[in-house]
Amino acid sequence: MTRPIFSDTKGDFYSINFEKGARENTIILNMGPQHPSTHGVLRILLELDGEYIVRAEPVLGYLHRMHEKMGEVKTVGQYMANMGRVDYLHAMAWNWAWAGAAERLAGIEVPERAEYLRIIATELNRIASHQVWWGAYILDLGAFTPILYSFEDREKILDMLQMMSGARLTFSYFRLGGVANDVPPVFFDRLREFIPYMRNRLNMYHALVTGNMILKQRIEGIGVMDVDACNRYGATGPMCRGSGIAHDTRRAEPYGLYDRFDFNIPVYHEGCCMARYMVRLDEIEESLKILEQAVAAIPEGPVLPAKPLKFNAKLPAGEAYYAVEGGRGKIGVWVASDGGKTPYRIKLRAPGFSNLSIFSELAEGTLIADSIAILGSLDLVIPEVDR
Amino acid sequence: MIPAPLASFDLLYLAREDHARTGSAWLGVMALQDIPAIAKALLAAGYHLEDISGLDAAEGAVAAYHFDHFTTPGRITLLALAPHDAPVFPSIAAIYQGAEWHERETRDFFGYVFTDNPNFIPLLLPDDMADIHPLKKPEAARASLLTLFAGEGRGSEVQRKAEGFTLLDQPAPTAADDAKAAPAEAKQPEAKADDQPDGGKDA
Amino acid sequence: MNEFSLWTVFTLVVGLVAILAFIAGNAMALVWMERKVAGFIQRRPGPNQLGPAGVLQSVADAVKLLFKQILKPSNADSIIFFLAPILSFFPVALLFMPLPFSPFFTAYSPNLGLLLILAFSGINVLAVLLAGWSSNNKYSLYGAARGVSQSVAYEIPLLLAVLAIAFQHGTLNLSEIVEQQGGWPWQWNVFTQPLAFLIYFISIFGETNRSPFDLPEAESELTAGFHTEYSGMGFALFFLAEYANMVLVCCVATALFLGGWKGPFLDGFWWFLAKAYGLLFIMMWVRWTYPRARFDMLLNLNWKWLLPLGALNLLATAFVMKLF
Repeated sequence: MTRPIFSDTKGDFYSINFEKGARENTIILNMGPQHPSTHGVLRILLELDGEYIVRAEPVLGYLHRMHEKMGEVKTVGQYMANMGRVDYLHAMAWNWAWAGAAERLAGIEVPERAEYLRIIATELNRIASHQVWWGAYILDLGAFTPILYSFEDREKILDMLQMMSGARLTFSYFRLGGVANDVPPVFFDRLREFIPYMRNRLNMYHALVTGNMILKQRIEGIGVMDVDACNRYGATGPMCRGSGIAHDTRRAEPYGLYDRFDFNIPVYHEGCCMARYMVRLDEIEESLKILEQAVAAIPEGPVLPAKPLKFNAKLPAGEAYYAVEGGRGKIGVWVASDGGKTPYRIKLRAPGFSNLSIFSELAEGTLIADSIAILGSLDLVIPEVDR
Repeated sequence: MIPAPLASFDLLYLAREDHARTGSAWLGVMALQDIPAIAKALLAAGYHLEDISGLDAAEGAVAAYHFDHFTTPGRITLLALAPHDAPVFPSIAAIYQGAEWHERETRDFFGYVFTDNPNFIPLLLPDDMADIHPLKKPEAARASLLTLFAGEGRGSEVQRKAEGFTLLDQPAPTAADDAKAAPAEAKQPEAKADDQPDGGKDA
Repeated sequence: MNEFSLWTVFTLVVGLVAILAFIAGNAMALVWMERKVAGFIQRRPGPNQLGPAGVLQSVADAVKLLFKQILKPSNADSIIFFLAPILSFFPVALLFMPLPFSPFFTAYSPNLGLLLILAFSGINVLAVLLAGWSSNNKYSLYGAARGVSQSVAYEIPLLLAVLAIAFQHGTLNLSEIVEQQGGWPWQWNVFTQPLAFLIYFISIFGETNRSPFDLPEAESELTAGFHTEYSGMGFALFFLAEYANMVLVCCVATALFLGGWKGPFLDGFWWFLAKAYGLLFIMMWVRWTYPRARFDMLLNLNWKWLLPLGALNLLATAFVMKLF
């Protein structure tokens, strides 16, 4: 058998398709699916004129697992385990989106203590998600050290989430009608200690990194998007809040008990990578505020309704949409049921999917280094984009 | 009050929905040819596209568009219906650029065709899976729009209904529909009683 | 150095062997030091399994690299592909010859020592270019293009800074420049020429492709830049060359600006090494602290700041030397 000569192949379906529209004297660069700064298996086809990007096209699907089909063959309870795998960095929010959609359709009330535990779990997870982003983003920009600092702090959060759910990454903590179990008493002591500790560390993040001259020059005024772009692409979360839109699903359509909490929506108007960076770091502070209030106000009581929905329960016929504010933006779960054993159709709206679709427009005409800065500022989690 | 961008269009169906129950503020059904014009009006009014999703219903291939507004929230769910044998929809990728990917994804999953999508190639599924559409349902398993969008206790307030659009009419006038609806309705309370005696009855 | 005697040949050979040993030993020590420094900065232990405090980790790495299969991409230019790593390492080895570690430890002390160093350090650029060109890889090509324009740009301010010192001392012989400086810190050139030192120190980051100017191998953009396709000893030689280059520029800085082997007491090569390692530590510190600069920022800094300042500094030096 002769060895195949790879350099003689003319590329795959996507690169052939991409090359059709190429200008003369440009280089087609295939970035990914294995590339250090595509965070997993994103592939981007770039048409380059020197170091300038003429055209960029993300190619998805390398981590596609068809969660929507799985939803149609699994019962409502079984499907909860999928949610931790959709977005592994903010799994709690996806837990909530699915639990919320099923509860909305079935009309189940959630006990108050469970609502508080949901908020605590989701906000802790949100901080952890932003920490990973922060470290990885600075890593993309070439500084190796901050990610180890943020992971050190994230470890404390993961310890707490482990106390809650038993898992450290792919949580399935939520149940239809509540949460899986109550937390041990020591959990609240740990949480109370963590809040001032994290405030301190957040100041350190700013002191270490935010003011850095090279960082500022790298990300200020890069990848600017406006309100119109957010509308056209459906960019949500820190993307739209960095473009001057004070939109947060926790406020826009309050779910759980978020309307009882006092927190701000950080908004920056520049629309650049720096604005998104600041929004995310400010959100850590806001999450800490929510946690502080939740710890003070959490009542005693059960964490599941007296007769909770069984894991193989049938959803009544109908459809419901449930939106949750995830670390990356608006998570939406649309579930339709015909009253059968399994849901009829589940649509997962992943914020990363919409956020990434804007990349082609933002990257056009920038340098390769800028496109890395822009790509990082989208805060991508590829399993969520591909689902 | 009907949202301003929708007011000037002859929607086949428009109902105000109970947000606490469905998550949407409005449910509408669009005529196929109106889709781009409606999208244009929604974009002009500052709505963003949340997602486009397929749904394989008994009456036809459904494309569901979810729109929302950043500053005055109120989700608008708009459905469009095409026949099963020709699921062709006009693309809105020229208006909402983000729709390009949603439409490609829907093509992968359901085999819908969105005409004038600028880059209509497979997105999530591999290119050699172009004929396989995993979310399409077999004929027998398809549910009717009535079951999915106009169930008991949904609390829709119908604002508009075009002449001859009867798919979402609540009490079925013909005997055939009656017979179809009756077992479904009889089945539901039973299922609820089994699984969640408390919550189910409230709903 | 007028007559080419047997003694000269003997010192040259011994010097060359000693230098190769010095480079290899230093590179290993530096790799270990770099990891320990990184560990310290990042609040983790760093290598700590092999030998006391992990000192043997570099040896294990060297063995691994020696035994690794050397792969060549199909369609790569075989000759140039394997020539490039050799070309990147051996000129650097040669450059250690004129370095005055102490009055006694100098392999070869030509009158134009400084010129020799500046001339031969340019060959490294050629190696980067050849490696990037011959790899048949677009990332390598981009890395090479960046490497060349960066090294060419940063060589000029480097030259200007070094020239200012040469003007001041009226010689290009490194040993003589050290001789003319005193042992105490205020007698060093860094005090008479602070601007030149600053320009030199910034330029060597660009010259040695070290973070924040590590654009030719920017791993988050170009995977590994010009040496993407190298494995085993090919990679090891580039690696060795990078560390040898670092040692070299820091040694030159020590000789030019920090008084070389001279110290407040007990002059000797230990002072030279201590100062050079101090500078190396700062280079590592910078690497593990700063994000990477973008290409236009890098060139702007060079052409808009370092070059005019270097020229002004040279002019001022010449003016002062003429007056007094």
